[in-house]
Amino acid sequence: MSAVDLTFEEAQRELEQIVERLERGEAGLDEAITLWERGEELYKLCVGRLDAAQGKIEELARRAEETRP
Amino acid sequence: MSKVEAIQYGDRKVYAVAAFNRGVAEWLQRLPTVWVEGEVTELRRNARWQSVFFTLKDPNDGACLGVTIARSRFDALRLDLADGERVHVFGRPELFEARGDFRMRALSIERFGLGDHLAALERLKKKLAADGVFERKRPLPFLPRRIGLVTGNDAAAKKDVLATITGRFPAARIVVAETLVQGPLAANAMIEALRGLAAAPEVDVVVLSRGGGSFEDLLPFSDERLVRAVAACPVPVVSAVGHEQDNPLCDFAADARASTPTAAARLVVPDATELLARLERTRAGLARGARSVVERRRERLVHAHDRLRRAPALAVERKRARLEHAAGRLRALSPRATLERGYAIVRTHDEIVRTASAVSSGDELDVEVADGRFGARVE
Repeated sequence: MSAVDLTFEEAQRELEQIVERLERGEAGLDEAITLWERGEELYKLCVGRLDAAQGKIEELARRAEETRP
Repeated sequence: MSKVEAIQYGDRKVYAVAAFNRGVAEWLQRLPTVWVEGEVTELRRNARWQSVFFTLKDPNDGACLGVTIARSRFDALRLDLADGERVHVFGRPELFEARGDFRMRALSIERFGLGDHLAALERLKKKLAADGVFERKRPLPFLPRRIGLVTGNDAAAKKDVLATITGRFPAARIVVAETLVQGPLAANAMIEALRGLAAAPEVDVVVLSRGGGSFEDLLPFSDERLVRAVAACPVPVVSAVGHEQDNPLCDFAADARASTPTAAARLVVPDATELLARLERTRAGLARGARSVVERRRERLVHAHDRLRRAPALAVERKRARLEHAAGRLRALSPRATLERGYAIVRTHDEIVRTASAVSSGDELDVEVADGRFGARVE
């Protein structure tokens, strides 16, 4: 599945599974490289989502601050 | 005792009005003297009249009894009675013959004393308790849409309650029913007001309020019908009657009681300032909570990413190590180790010499030892 279609939690879970698989040394060399690339892709996706969420929170907090009675 | 004469019309005995009245009056006089309790109303005393007149009213159902008492006797009692006062009247029933009016001829009157009132209230309280009138205690609404207020038309008392409620919660909406709060008509008036407010749209709680007053002033708030009406009210009732030491029976029937207007306000509306402050704290917590969710996710992500960064190098290292291990074992199996123990490999024409017959005298040999090789000739 393309990483973009995953929810944050799904992407995070897949990333952690990849890390564990790499750390256990089960993957072949070629597979290890593929896994690494996939992991980096998932990481970028997750960070992007987190940054977006944080931006939204700060925006809401700022707006809430403005409407304080 | 004069004989009551009837006139004979054929076989019909007919009495004159006066004769009939006299007959009934005489019959009534045979009844014993008794004590009757009621409230004095319509007291009429005139210095030119022989008698003083008043109506004795049953406070519970309004039944009435006319009473007369000789003016000299009444004055001698020095009661200084006022309308609405509870009395015990000692006398006998009689018929005022001239008018055919039935009434009571009083011989003595006693004011219903404080002790009697207290005893009567205590009896009533026991009876109401036995009927379960004091049992229902409903929770008050946190924020009523409208508040019903039953109050006297005494401006000060009303303002007191209104000010404390709006002081706590400025947006409170209050429906006021001004009514009599003392005297013989108060109980009925308050029952009407209570029913009207409870039926009004959006009224979620009713406050029954009255400032302090004498024991007698507060008596309507112990009236059996009012107490039952409070208990039966479809919305919760807060009783805010008199002061701390007063315990009118409506206090027990109400869902909550307050000893002051301030206490009543505290019961029916939340403190807006405190409420807003709490809301602000909650709101701040909301932002904090949302941020910490993101933070926890980010930490977990960064941790996973660190491991991801190290993992491929680790995997390559591990493979390299395995490779080295294999190479080591490979090397261990090579002839070099044998050479180091002093053996040599002898080749001729690039063929390893395995038997003596493989070479002839004069052949060039290539000898390999542990640290190199040199040439030799077969002799």
